[in-house]
Amino acid sequence: MKRTLHAAGALLTAGGLLATAACGGSSGKASDGKTTVTVMTWESSATNQLIDKALAGFHDPDITVKRIDTPNGNYGDKLASLTQAKKLPDLFWCGNDTELQYTGQGLLTDWSGKLSGSGGFTAGSFSPTAIKNWKTPDGKIGGVPSLLNTYGIWYDIDAFQAAGVPLPKAGWTWDEMYAAAGKLQKKGAKYGLVADALTGQDAPFALSLYSQSAGGAPFTDSVNQPTKVTADATYTEGVGKLVAGIKSGAVAPPGYDASTAQSLFAAGQVPMLWSGQWLAAGFLTDKPKIKYGFAPLPQVDKAATLYDAVGICTPSYTKNADATYKVLSYLDSTVWTKVLPDSPVAVPAYTGAQDAYYNALSKAGLTTVASTVKADLDAPLTSGVRFTTQWASQSNDQITAYWPDILKGKKPLSDLQTMTGKINDVIKSNG
Amino acid sequence: MAPALVGFTAFVVYPLIRSAYFALTRYNGLTAPTFVGLDNFRRMFTTDPSFWPSVRATLLLVVLYVPLSLVIGLALAVFCNRHMRGVRMVRTLIYLPVVLPVVATITLWKFVFNPQVGLANQVLSWLHLPTSEWLSGSGSAIPSIVIVMLWSVGSTMIIFLAALQAVPTELYDAARIDGAGPRTVFFRITLPLISPIMVLQVVLQLVTALQTFNQPKILSPDNQGGPGFSTRVLMLSIYNHGFPTLGRVAEFGYASAQVWVLFLVIVVVIAATARFSSIWTYSDHAS
Amino acid sequence: MTTHPDVTTAAEPAPSPQPTPAATVPRPPRRTVRTASWYAVALLISSVMVLPILWMIGIALKGHSAVFQIPPRLLPDEFHFENFIDGPKAIHFPRLLLNSLVITGLSVMGGVMTSMMAGYALSRLRFPGRKVWFYAFVGSMMLPPVVGIIPLFQLFKDIGWYDTWLPLIVPAWLGGNPLFIYLARQYFLSVPYSIDEAAKMDGAGHVRIFFSVMLPITRPAWITMAILAFQFSWNDYLNPLIYLYSSEKWPLSVGMASFVTGFAGQTPDWNLYMAANLLYMLPPLAVFFVAQRYFIQGLSALGTVNQR
Repeated sequence: MKRTLHAAGALLTAGGLLATAACGGSSGKASDGKTTVTVMTWESSATNQLIDKALAGFHDPDITVKRIDTPNGNYGDKLASLTQAKKLPDLFWCGNDTELQYTGQGLLTDWSGKLSGSGGFTAGSFSPTAIKNWKTPDGKIGGVPSLLNTYGIWYDIDAFQAAGVPLPKAGWTWDEMYAAAGKLQKKGAKYGLVADALTGQDAPFALSLYSQSAGGAPFTDSVNQPTKVTADATYTEGVGKLVAGIKSGAVAPPGYDASTAQSLFAAGQVPMLWSGQWLAAGFLTDKPKIKYGFAPLPQVDKAATLYDAVGICTPSYTKNADATYKVLSYLDSTVWTKVLPDSPVAVPAYTGAQDAYYNALSKAGLTTVASTVKADLDAPLTSGVRFTTQWASQSNDQITAYWPDILKGKKPLSDLQTMTGKINDVIKSNG
Repeated sequence: MAPALVGFTAFVVYPLIRSAYFALTRYNGLTAPTFVGLDNFRRMFTTDPSFWPSVRATLLLVVLYVPLSLVIGLALAVFCNRHMRGVRMVRTLIYLPVVLPVVATITLWKFVFNPQVGLANQVLSWLHLPTSEWLSGSGSAIPSIVIVMLWSVGSTMIIFLAALQAVPTELYDAARIDGAGPRTVFFRITLPLISPIMVLQVVLQLVTALQTFNQPKILSPDNQGGPGFSTRVLMLSIYNHGFPTLGRVAEFGYASAQVWVLFLVIVVVIAATARFSSIWTYSDHAS
Repeated sequence: MTTHPDVTTAAEPAPSPQPTPAATVPRPPRRTVRTASWYAVALLISSVMVLPILWMIGIALKGHSAVFQIPPRLLPDEFHFENFIDGPKAIHFPRLLLNSLVITGLSVMGGVMTSMMAGYALSRLRFPGRKVWFYAFVGSMMLPPVVGIIPLFQLFKDIGWYDTWLPLIVPAWLGGNPLFIYLARQYFLSVPYSIDEAAKMDGAGHVRIFFSVMLPITRPAWITMAILAFQFSWNDYLNPLIYLYSSEKWPLSVGMASFVTGFAGQTPDWNLYMAANLLYMLPPLAVFFVAQRYFIQGLSALGTVNQR
């Protein structure tokens, strides 16, 4: 038994060492009375450096700001385990769905009181749709929107000219898009159009644009508090055209790994890429060899686009809510005016900072990006990108069970009704 | 001995009991679990559209991987069990992928399988063979994962090799004097003699295959077992429910219920193997 | 490392089986054919094993955009050796390396020591319930570790071990690996009792027998275990991913994986990744080559033990 005591002793010493070593980086009140506010982002390391630089301009005698360094991959895994451990940083980047779900669970600090006050950082200083979508049904708001993502089609000008296809522009139609994809594919591209937004889990919401634009019913009445989903005749027609595009090889099929699509586009291997405006920032640093442009999403009659805003959330257990709010208001307004000129990732939801973004784009010569983003924000019809509800993973599984097979022609178009029926069951059983 | 006993209680007995309880609750890790009886199992077997596909993916992986890894492992062991110049080098090269870190080799293969710029399609088109969608195709995704797993077949080979080298050479000499050909020697002498190792290997590979996690997690295009549900093996399904993607709330209760299903599958498979194997395993206790 | 790819790939497309028999003394033709075909197969197998690695070295030396050239090329047009500096820099390689070394070192030590002692106890000491414990250990080998993930996550969280290395190390010290205990017991059983008795005659207790008699004899066994434990801990991805959120505490496995799961449509820098990957592979390779002899011996023991 002596032996085991030995081992246990060694173990305790080792454990003690580790425990003390591990206690270094905790946040909260430091010994000098200053409050430390921690920030965690999912940005690339280049953007993070710019954020750090901008944050250095934040001066408050009682507050120090510390950014927790996190490589952007696995942000979701990390957020999940931080949530479980109740160790979320004071300010963390979050999506609209995270914000609504976590607020519903009482996990986040409600800023609605502060935002309805007066001053330069209130609900009125944001893009109205963003604020509207960030409010929970009972009027709480657990985080503030920071950047608005807009979606469109990146196109390779060289490839279009070589194939003799007119360049995409505002007001172009879905039929024109598929026709262009077909011609580009015949000219030697592996796929004319890569659009995982049309084939992945969120795809039924993207296809809603076709239906809405043609005057049909949207896929769902609301992404935040849905009562039902529908696939009417117009919607089905839109899916049918996509199925034909995939069958002919013009459009990349479900399962296509889009993680390399951006580089393939930049290398001239993907002539049309359905993605967001955020790629512009990467292209400015990587400098693709091709000439490229960014067009709004196609339409049928009226312009329709996807709506998606990301933001910054605060856990309910933040140590000093006032200090956190101070940093938040600096981070979500002034920081953007300093970061976006060097890295124009997205248009800020804070209206006062929007010019910084557009100026940066026009300075870099990305006029098509600026005009498309503007057009997107003005589009009369919008659809949320995905459900933001608690049970969204269950409805996602239903989508995964039907959508790819329908697109590949393994299941008939009529199975769209089965899919919507099953999703409606999920909505009902959770409603 | 004591630390091992403490460890056994803490890491085997306690989790077993806890997860059995969680399996009967709805629990998100944030608020207290609520008891729901067998609701999780009902959802799994009836309404969840991902459950049966994930069982299918798991079984397909097992059915493809286990026999192939045994056959190839044994073939390579036989191949390397000879006195040739350079055999040591070949053996080391076969074992090399096992030594390399799993995450490193998996990510390497993710790139090898890239349909447009990856090595796999490049080699196929050099040889004028049809190329494949690999991990992006719902039919080819699991076979691709099996290929990645088989690249580390060296671990199976090395144990077979050890077993082969333990077979007394006199037996071979005696057989050859009796005029037995190499095939007869292999099937009549070698195989029966190494059958205990074979059983050990079968069990080890079954357990490995049933618990595959890293490969589908890293290799699938969406890191969630895509395309569709084609690579969402049970382990990954459990992980997805327990530690869900960005901003979703965890479903520990449902994940625990799946853990128990996986556990029971493993127990049944191993029990069946043990039963089946006792018929044909060579045992020298009898002699 | 620098001139490596040229040399090896140059040797690559020469799959002719002819050169080898030339060196051998004339033999019956059938034998020669057999030898030649053996080498042909050996070459094929070796290239399947090695080609991906060579290709990786190729990518590691390419520029960012050259990776996406179509048709892809094996060899880079221009060599970007700076990838070997920039790649590791992107994930703070030295710090993660140190983390990995500490975590792996401690858990290997713990795992091997505890398992050896438990194995010794199970094979040599007579204590009540010995058989029961043995079967309990063997039985828990069949238990998938995933059973424990959720309860253990909560246990470690509740005792304040979240975001520390303890959940990655302590289980090993507490006999968290039943396979090792089983291996150790089997190996100890194969050591003849006469050795113990001789030592006992000299007045040695169990502690002395274990440390000064048994440990030297069973070297292949514990070196094998150490290598396996090293691999397990070095490769472990799921556990650190769940338990560690501070990137400065991550081991290399998580750091490397975070390289390739791009976020928001960003493409990973494959060339930098592959360069860092090569460095990540070096320690296990070194360990393997240093201890290779014992490792093969130890595994042979596993191979033969079962026939007993």
